[in-house]
Amino acid sequence: MTTGSAAYADCGEVTITEMNWASSAVVTAVAAFLMEQGYGCEVQKVPSSTVTAITSVTETGEPDILTEVWANSTPAYPGLLAEGKLVELADVLSDGGVEAWWIPAYLAESNPELTTWEGIMANPAAVGGKFHDCPSGWACDIINNNNLIAAGAEAGGLERFQHGSGETLQTSIAAAYDEKAPWFGYYWAPTAVLGKYPMVAVEVPAYDAEAHTCNGNVDCTNPGFSAYPASKVVTAAAGGFSEREPAAAALMAKVSFTNEQMGEVLAWRLDRNASYDEAAVYFLTNYKDVWAEWLNDEAREKLAAILDNG
Amino acid sequence: MAFYDSIFSALGLSGWCGEAGDGAPLSMADLMAKAGGDEAKGEFFPFPSLDNLNESCSSVLQSRDVTKGIEEGFLAAKPALKTVLDPITQPLSWLLDGALWLFEATPWFVMVPILVAISYWASRSKPVTIFVFISIMLLGLVDHYDVAMQTLSIIFVCTSISVLLGVPVGIAMSKSDRLQKSTVPILDLLQTLPTFVYLIPLIFLFSVTESKLYGIAIILYAIVPVIRLTDLGIRLVDQDVIEAANAFGMNSRQKLLRVQMPLALPNIMAGINQTIMMSLAMVVIASLVSAPGLGVNVLRGIRNLELGVGIVAGIGIVLLAVILDRVSKAALSRVDMTRVKH
Repeated sequence: MTTGSAAYADCGEVTITEMNWASSAVVTAVAAFLMEQGYGCEVQKVPSSTVTAITSVTETGEPDILTEVWANSTPAYPGLLAEGKLVELADVLSDGGVEAWWIPAYLAESNPELTTWEGIMANPAAVGGKFHDCPSGWACDIINNNNLIAAGAEAGGLERFQHGSGETLQTSIAAAYDEKAPWFGYYWAPTAVLGKYPMVAVEVPAYDAEAHTCNGNVDCTNPGFSAYPASKVVTAAAGGFSEREPAAAALMAKVSFTNEQMGEVLAWRLDRNASYDEAAVYFLTNYKDVWAEWLNDEAREKLAAILDNG
Repeated sequence: MAFYDSIFSALGLSGWCGEAGDGAPLSMADLMAKAGGDEAKGEFFPFPSLDNLNESCSSVLQSRDVTKGIEEGFLAAKPALKTVLDPITQPLSWLLDGALWLFEATPWFVMVPILVAISYWASRSKPVTIFVFISIMLLGLVDHYDVAMQTLSIIFVCTSISVLLGVPVGIAMSKSDRLQKSTVPILDLLQTLPTFVYLIPLIFLFSVTESKLYGIAIILYAIVPVIRLTDLGIRLVDQDVIEAANAFGMNSRQKLLRVQMPLALPNIMAGINQTIMMSLAMVVIASLVSAPGLGVNVLRGIRNLELGVGIVAGIGIVLLAVILDRVSKAALSRVDMTRVKH
């Protein structure tokens, strides 16, 4: 970090967010390594979350790079693109994120009829009679609530239980798995939780753009029952970043993971109780062909020691 | 070569250690060093931590194995803990749900006079009573009456239970030095252990949908001052007074109820006042584990950057705190026997 950066004056200081969930932390660690070692940037990681990062970039133009912005659940995002305060660099998860309503795999195996919404409403008690919903203030909270209204869940005997935080939502999945208890609720992938605890998405009516947009609004008068669209998950940079650091921006525009790769890395991390940095190293040593494609010639030369051996 | 290699071989433990350092995943430092072309140079004299020792001797556990062991230990003990703790704490869920239902089902035009009457009865102070009335009306005016009542009902249940459990524990502590010595570290722990550290494991024991989860969180934190101050208050009772009581031939039960408790009452009331304040301080954290009330609005305000929502709910919590503080303080000065004119 200290050696080398002075020699390559073409890349200066870069600030990059480290969002508070696993896949984003891995993306950040991989990107930071490549920028430091390949491009001689001085990278500063900023622990952050979507809302704080977006606000900060709106008000101050910092941090430079936002990793894993979930475009669907970030209402401010399109506006910031239009204003030029943010520039979209790449689809960092090339398959897109999956948001859905899930039941645990063991439940789907013992009661296959529960993998459809009709099956659950026929016997809500089989999934525990409760829908585990996102905490208040998350975008999915409003969408799920409108979907449940449209689907007539309450009348059908399915109670909506709103969690207070993402931590309890995720722990409720782990706790249910520990006892092989029924569980039904919202979650998203790729995440460490869905990597560790296999879940089956419940079949609901197909994505309907109009209904989904209305569902996202608190005052939606006529909610429709609609699945989530595949979520676009992007890397975004602050307005002037591409001009200031064209090489680093070109790299970030290529950094992209498939859900399979990310899921494998996250599962490896959970199995070994490893740190995010170690997970990044695991990716860097095992997927050399993938990230070699992202680099420019100069950086490839600098990282040849890793690319060519071991 | 890792730093401690030579020590393990000097002790003749190479055989026990086996192949060196194959268990640990490659660290970022190693990879960076590889990129530079030479092997990672560690510190000159690294701390003999588990991870550093493991680099020389793979038979030594890594720190991550320790944390994993704790996790597995907890999961193994879980079924037993669950059978004991789940039924014991079940009444807490009923109480919280019942109080919530009662406070919500009572219409405001009944509830507000009751609250005002209680504050007058407790404090016998006109300014305090008027302040309580205005505060509740203000909260109602900005449509925060319902959430404020939810918060109030939770505080009501949790403080009552804290006092019911805390005062006897405090009395027992004041009677036994050994009990005091062993309890104080537990009280310190309860006040400083980050809440989520014990709340998340609790979800494995109880269903997250049960209200007792946040009840336990609040009680464990808020029970501490009432225990401490009951203990302190009884210990501070003048020895001369106790001697006089002995001279009158009082038995220990009479001494406790007729002499020590009345004289310790100001301290106990101060403890109760602090307990109320601390349970209010936990309202937002309790909302992180699904407690209804003003805390939910605070969280929503923070998460969506709806600053106004957060500030109004936050001020609502402050108003409730001031109400409860003033009423309990006024009640405190009323029962303060030491200041009664002779």
